[in-house]
Amino acid sequence: MLFLQLLVNGIQVGALYALTAVGFSLIFGSTRIFHVAHGATFTLAGYVFYELYSVAGEPWIAALAAATAGAGIFGVLVDRLVYAPIQRHEGSFFTVFVASFGISIVVQNLVGTAFGRGFVSISSPLSRSVELAPGLYAPPTAAISVLAAVVCFVGLHFFLTRTHIGMALRALSENPDLVRVFGLDPRRLSSYAFALGSLLVVPGALLTGATAGLSPALGNHVMLISLAATIVGGVGSLRGAACGGLLLGLAENLALWHLDPQWSEAVTFVVLFLFIIFRPAGFFGRVVTQ
Amino acid sequence: MIAYAMNLATLIAINAILAITLNFIMGYAGIFSLAHALFFGVGAYTAAWIAMHVSADFFLTVSGAALLASLLSLALALPALRVREVYFVAASLGLQVLGSTVFAEWKSVTGGIGGVIGIPPAELFGIPLSDPHAFLALALACLTFVIAVTYGLVRSSFGRSLTAIRDSESAAAAYGKNVALIKTLAVVVSSALCAVAGALYAFYLSFINVESFVLDTSILLMAMVIIGGTGTVLGPIIGTVLLLLLPAGLSYLSFLPHTEIGSIQQMIYGLAMVVLMIFRPGGLVGGRSLGERK
Amino acid sequence: MSAAVPVLLDIRGVSRRFGGLLAINEVTMALEAGVITTLVGPNGAGKTTLFNLITGYLAPDAGEVLWKGRSLRGMPHWAIARLGIARTFQDLRLFTHMSVEDNVLTVMERSSWLWQPGGRRAERAKSARAAAILEMTGLSDKARVRAIDLAYAERKFLSLARVMATDAELWLLDEPASGLDLPSYERFLELLRSKAREGITVCIIEHNFDIVQRISDRIVFLDQGRLIADGEPKAVLADPHLANLYFGEHAA
Repeated sequence: MLFLQLLVNGIQVGALYALTAVGFSLIFGSTRIFHVAHGATFTLAGYVFYELYSVAGEPWIAALAAATAGAGIFGVLVDRLVYAPIQRHEGSFFTVFVASFGISIVVQNLVGTAFGRGFVSISSPLSRSVELAPGLYAPPTAAISVLAAVVCFVGLHFFLTRTHIGMALRALSENPDLVRVFGLDPRRLSSYAFALGSLLVVPGALLTGATAGLSPALGNHVMLISLAATIVGGVGSLRGAACGGLLLGLAENLALWHLDPQWSEAVTFVVLFLFIIFRPAGFFGRVVTQ
Repeated sequence: MIAYAMNLATLIAINAILAITLNFIMGYAGIFSLAHALFFGVGAYTAAWIAMHVSADFFLTVSGAALLASLLSLALALPALRVREVYFVAASLGLQVLGSTVFAEWKSVTGGIGGVIGIPPAELFGIPLSDPHAFLALALACLTFVIAVTYGLVRSSFGRSLTAIRDSESAAAAYGKNVALIKTLAVVVSSALCAVAGALYAFYLSFINVESFVLDTSILLMAMVIIGGTGTVLGPIIGTVLLLLLPAGLSYLSFLPHTEIGSIQQMIYGLAMVVLMIFRPGGLVGGRSLGERK
Repeated sequence: MSAAVPVLLDIRGVSRRFGGLLAINEVTMALEAGVITTLVGPNGAGKTTLFNLITGYLAPDAGEVLWKGRSLRGMPHWAIARLGIARTFQDLRLFTHMSVEDNVLTVMERSSWLWQPGGRRAERAKSARAAAILEMTGLSDKARVRAIDLAYAERKFLSLARVMATDAELWLLDEPASGLDLPSYERFLELLRSKAREGITVCIIEHNFDIVQRISDRIVFLDQGRLIADGEPKAVLADPHLANLYFGEHAA
């Protein structure tokens, strides 16, 4: 029964990881920017919702809209104000990475100063667990997580295959030169990628807030997971990132079957490390070894 | 006041060793590691263990610490040889997180969260170094040694090989450079020298726990190197001095709440990283942008 | 070709596939000591791929490469280089942030360990040789300049200086003269000829008809990964089919 319980938890967490990782992977694939501040977007979205819904008592739909807008705007602004100038003087991979890292440090500490460094949680009737079978508990948020992931993935799939911008974004990740054929401005496309990628953190941020709770340091964890899922799934593959996220969520939770909770993050990285050493192309990716 | 300045100077010397050894692989070999604090920790715990169970002789403990750190650094060299950029950053991050967990959980050696207490003072030729002046001198001597070794290597044929690999790995191999061996040696040297700082730290505080060897420390060290200037000799030292004086300087600003000083310090260096990458990617000392290779 | 000339490098039935594309298709050829062989053929004919296969940068799917009769199969890239095979790259791949002098010095340094054997005496000999090479390639005044700050022609000469510094017996040059202005171009040809007279074996990928004509002892023609002609320049250049296939557009 413990195993089943962990499986349910793992699926819930994994669905949210999958969404967040797909956002990261979408940005990385189409812009080649290693956006580690993606974790900061996650934290910000979560705290905006918390502030409006749990503290100010606004209706949840208004808080959701604000969190969504906040995430998208933050992503686009970081791209415009920080990455664009660096790329203008042809900054290397590491230059962009360091700047992005700097942003996440700043956001983490700003949030910590404003809201305190402890956990806060968004309480709602949906986070109360229901006994599904004798000894097996799951809150409605688990179902919502899976549902949100499915809805977002279907939406994303349609966007990427049916719309002009979506197709251009996919083309960009496969071959940057193709974009000129489409007659689109790469800078503008980059903003779309950041907006879209950042929006995908919102379900994860809100539902994590409603279950495990939010803390300023959460951004780091999200960053690690997104990065790990992208690599495990294979760089450049959104499908891979989704599978990677799900796998990591499951691994982290199923590890509790035999290990103490403090090892769960280590388990994630053992998985990642093994992939990097033995299968650096991930599930679906291209080979990148030297 | 004097005691305060001496304490700060000793910590600067220790951290400068860490920043210099990180810069050795980051700035010259293009190996961007987020696991440097791990080897700092390995050095500190090993030195503490040897000092408490075998002998507190400084040379013996330092050699032991350096030896173990360089052996374990092969775990870092392995991914560095296989993959680069995103992948390597991720692998080193994973190693760091894994290492912190081991430090926190392997209670029989590391004392867990509580740490190791009562590390005896270091002995030089049988004389215990309990005087802070003498210890500062020892730390500075170690710093000088580390600077001399890394500077010597960077200026030598080995340094040229490293830079050649960083600039074009395929060309370096096409001209007979054994890339795998050279990168491994760079990582091993860096980790061994990093462990010297670990040993100094353990002796200096006579108490160590996992909090000094976590991801945040690795990030701080990275910030020191980047803000000072990667691939330069002076950069990491200047970065260390600046980032260690920062909290001291902030605590003089009485309007800042004391509990927030750590936070404000991190915000400042986070912001400095962003601004420098936009306007001066080579850091304060360096001019060239880091890791040129696309 | 007379049988008396020793074969330095023997390529035997080498093939290499990239996905669905057969980039090199059962190529067999030999590079003879002291001979300048020119590899010609349209873009995408597999010329650079052949260099990559010889130097161990890529492994052949079939066939093998022999160096002085010994198979190079399974040897790492760098170890093959040390046997005495040096190459240039179409995109140069200089050590951009090192000085011109250091670019040359590092190529001479064979030990990958933390120090070089030979002590001070070897150190002095090395500097003297580097200076001589820079003199020959006309880079003496630029010795302290970073490679990235050089003009285009100077970069090309630096890539040649690097090859000279290796002491290799076989040079594989990938379009070394493209984009050179006329004086540099003449200087380059002269340098290459004098090196060939010293006994260096050269295999050169070239599109420039003038160079092919003036420098080749032998021409090998590749098309779509296959070797379609191999012989004395006169014979190959006279073949109207080949001329049409390739030189037609370049001869003017």
